[in-house]
Amino acid sequence: MIDLVEATKKYDAGPPALAGVTLSVAAGECLAVLGHSGSGKSTLLNLIAGLDRPSSGTVTVDGTRVDRLGEAGSARFRRASIGMVFQFFNLLDDLTVLDNVLVPAQLAGMAKAEARRRSAELLGALGIDRHAKAYPQRLSGGERQRVAVARALMNRPALLLADEPTGALDSHSAADVRQLLLDLNAEGQTILLVTHDVELAASTAHRTIELVDGAVVRDIDNGTGAQARRTATAGGPGWDDEIGAARGSAPVRSAFQATGPTGAAGTAGAPSTPGTPGALR
Amino acid sequence: MSALGKVVRSGVGRRRVQSFVMALTTLAAVTSSVLSLGLLTVVQAPFDHAFAARNAAHLAIQFDGTKATSAQAAATAKVAGVTESAGPYPITTNLTATVGPDCTERLGPNLPFAGTEAPPASIAARPDLAHSPMDQLVLDDGRWPRSASEIVLTNWPYDCRGKSVVFSGLPGKPAFTVVGIANSLTTTATGFTTLDGFARLTAAGAKADSQMLYRFAQAGTDAEIAADKQAVAATVPAGSIEGARSYLAERTRATGNAKAFVPFLIVFGILGLFLSILIIAIVVSGAVVSAIRRIGILKALGFTPAQVARAYMAQALIPATFGVVAGTVLGNLLSIPVLSDTSHEVGAAGTSLPIWVSILVPVGTLVIVGITAMVPALRAGRLPAAQTLVVGRAPKAERGRAAQRLASRLPLPRPMSLGLALPFARPARAALVGGAVLFGAVSATFAMGLETSFAHFQDKRTGGFGAGSVIVRPGDAEQSGPGGAPGPGPGMLDANDPRTKHLDAAKVAAAIASVPGTRATFGWGDSGSTVIGTPAMTEVDTIYGDPSWTGLEVVSGRWYSAPGEGVVSDRLASAAAIHVGDTVTVVQQGRSMPLRIVGIDFDTHDGSNIVAADAASFTAAGLTPRIDQFNVQLAPGTDGPTWAATANAALHRLDASVDHNAGGHASDVVIVMSTLVATLTLMLVVVSALGVLNTVVQDTRERIHDLGIFKALGMTPRQTVTMVMTSVALSGLVAGLIGVPIGAALERMTLNPMQNAVGMHLPPSVTHSYTASLVLPLLAGGIVIALLGALLPAGWAARSRTATALRTE
Repeated sequence: MIDLVEATKKYDAGPPALAGVTLSVAAGECLAVLGHSGSGKSTLLNLIAGLDRPSSGTVTVDGTRVDRLGEAGSARFRRASIGMVFQFFNLLDDLTVLDNVLVPAQLAGMAKAEARRRSAELLGALGIDRHAKAYPQRLSGGERQRVAVARALMNRPALLLADEPTGALDSHSAADVRQLLLDLNAEGQTILLVTHDVELAASTAHRTIELVDGAVVRDIDNGTGAQARRTATAGGPGWDDEIGAARGSAPVRSAFQATGPTGAAGTAGAPSTPGTPGALR
Repeated sequence: MSALGKVVRSGVGRRRVQSFVMALTTLAAVTSSVLSLGLLTVVQAPFDHAFAARNAAHLAIQFDGTKATSAQAAATAKVAGVTESAGPYPITTNLTATVGPDCTERLGPNLPFAGTEAPPASIAARPDLAHSPMDQLVLDDGRWPRSASEIVLTNWPYDCRGKSVVFSGLPGKPAFTVVGIANSLTTTATGFTTLDGFARLTAAGAKADSQMLYRFAQAGTDAEIAADKQAVAATVPAGSIEGARSYLAERTRATGNAKAFVPFLIVFGILGLFLSILIIAIVVSGAVVSAIRRIGILKALGFTPAQVARAYMAQALIPATFGVVAGTVLGNLLSIPVLSDTSHEVGAAGTSLPIWVSILVPVGTLVIVGITAMVPALRAGRLPAAQTLVVGRAPKAERGRAAQRLASRLPLPRPMSLGLALPFARPARAALVGGAVLFGAVSATFAMGLETSFAHFQDKRTGGFGAGSVIVRPGDAEQSGPGGAPGPGPGMLDANDPRTKHLDAAKVAAAIASVPGTRATFGWGDSGSTVIGTPAMTEVDTIYGDPSWTGLEVVSGRWYSAPGEGVVSDRLASAAAIHVGDTVTVVQQGRSMPLRIVGIDFDTHDGSNIVAADAASFTAAGLTPRIDQFNVQLAPGTDGPTWAATANAALHRLDASVDHNAGGHASDVVIVMSTLVATLTLMLVVVSALGVLNTVVQDTRERIHDLGIFKALGMTPRQTVTMVMTSVALSGLVAGLIGVPIGAALERMTLNPMQNAVGMHLPPSVTHSYTASLVLPLLAGGIVIALLGALLPAGWAARSRTATALRTE
């Protein structure tokens, strides 16, 4: 689904924001990107979303060479293949929840009836259909992020990019969103999750990479145990330990679900969000 | 440089576009205001100064010497309302003046000046020509007459000065030596001699009349002058007033062109001033809103509220000062050609705009700019530092949601419906956009109306007696050669000059009509006559045939239809107070005919002082109809050279030939006006569009985060441009719909004083500017201005980096 080959991004003089990153993400995979502020997480996400172009290297997403696209091509690519969820939701305050969700479909020229049907399906599946005519500012943080997810999924994107999706939420709402991501991934949605929250990464993603100074320093397959392998010379001290502590001895996803907002333990991919997960994809 | 100075300099430097807009709008406002106020105050000054200095007469009346005695004329000095008078002076009019044989210079090859006829002369005599108590004469060249054989004239060929003039129409053909060129401010006569000299004229057969010069207590308007004249007429035998000459007609002739500039310049000045206020309010408010965080930092660094306010006021005043200074200089420079024309008319030295105009207008503009900028600047000063540092930008209001909901239901592409609803989220800013467009639309409508009227006016000048693609004139084409002048025809010699060739109207008309391809024709010529009591430059034209196809228009009354009837041009009718129904006396080489005026036509050729009558009228009264030219309109598809060749063959035996018609001359004054209107309009429309640009830039900056979201969701650059452009379209449309009627009303209000200034009554065909084909594009003009203004910021919005925009809070 995602293939980065020696992707480098430089802004002006100084060290690169992203330094020769080579990365592959398979379809249906959930990859967490960890790193401190300034480590290159957002730059990586921008390159994959076509919001920015690499200074060198290639970026291929869902078979499209994103780094070769122009402005209009990037926009069309995002419409068709990318859904984005942000830390601060980035909802349009002067549009209702329904209108926010409809925007991607309307920009893509989706038939009105089809867009209505799809938005109703998503709002219902995410349990926010009763807020359809409300404005985002009236909703709680968790609800707003659900709206953002609904909007991101409107055009059935191949890839969902989530940038610190729980960063602006209280713990209850954060757990809610975490479960939503798990549900989506269980449905087969490819997710790239950018976060500095180790626990979120460990509990949600199959695999976690860590960026330090623009380079991938660790790449861990969370689903098959602690198989962290160093891919660069520099590394964040104690990170293996943090992952391990977050996972405990149980599989990452089970550990999260045990502390989930509903308090109900479940198996990986078990739906705990309102509505029908099957409608999300 | 102080800290405050650095803040101001960096602010002006960062907002270069806005600073340029402020400078340009104040430039337009000050240029128009300086010029209009300056012209308003000084345009009459050269004439008024000369009038006062030369103690000129409000009215000069010529009494028929056979009906009123000199004593009766002198008694009119005691008429109620007369404050000062002079005379009676002996005067004789309508003398045929010929260059004497002692002038050996030549007018052209084989064409000596000697024997050339000058326009009919009116000769007066005064006891002391150099020191008249009223209507003091000014000697332009030579000296005053000292003997009975000497004379000064107002105009005489330069090469023949010092030589003789022969009054060849008088039985005795008396000759005088032209010893000087002198002028009367109100042209009370075209020549002056001593009392002894005048006696020679009467002895040679000239009719002696008497002339009185008056000043009245009330003489400011045509109506007051008419009442004064009536009061004088009531004290003398009926019909003894042969002619009267008002100073108002002369003043209009001397100052009318310059005065005609004033009305539209006032409108541009007012539009420019209001636009300046609006633009400065937009720019400074925008600067404050976009720099709230910066203001917080300045305050945190120790800037006082007064310093912050001063910093933002200065950022408006600095570029405005550039515009004001440049506008003052430009206004003064533009006044030079306009005023020099007026000064030249009265023989005064060049006049410049009064210094107080060049002080008052710029200072006043800067005060207005300062007050306008002070309001948002004070707001900046009052902003609490802590809040501005935390918030970083103005709080977002929850307006426009209903509009967004409604717009989303419209069957439009989503970027358009999003853009349509945007103005409702920030109605004040939308109003600013609308205001800027409104001034642009008003200016454009006003200017297009004026320009259309100017164009119609020029069409009238180039039509009428200039109509037709070819003309037939006296002379043989073969003799004069290609492009050569066909012999001494009209314009080279006076119409009465015996060497002047005229056409045999009936035969030439028949010959022209016989040539295939002739669609319409009419003949005309200067009859060499004058009309008693009218300005010296009055021309009486003979018409042969039907000129209705030329576009000549009767603005009141009707076209003549019988011998003894004639029409008078609008300007002459105003100048000489001739009305439909009046009877004027046409004099041609001592023979006269009464001509009943049945219509006033809009004729602008040859100085516009025209009386026109059919050739049959001249013949019936025993005068000579003189036809110098036939204007010919060819049928569509006719080959010009072929027609000319055929016509020349037919005309050869009639000593006439075909020539290309260069048409009438467009008015230079109107060309200057048109250029000035176009320049000022362009400036105001550009400023208007830049005002929109500035507002949209501001709006785009504030919406950059939302734009980032849209782009992250897949909005293409084209869709972004569409959304931004649509956001101003509604304001532009509304502003256009309001602005067009306002602009049209302003044009109506302006045309009246303009035509009054030049003593004309423009016919509907000239003033009817706003046809559907003009109004419809003008109505769309508001949108065009708005879209032009939004084009650049829309492009910037489309190119803005999504990732950066998303990080902007």
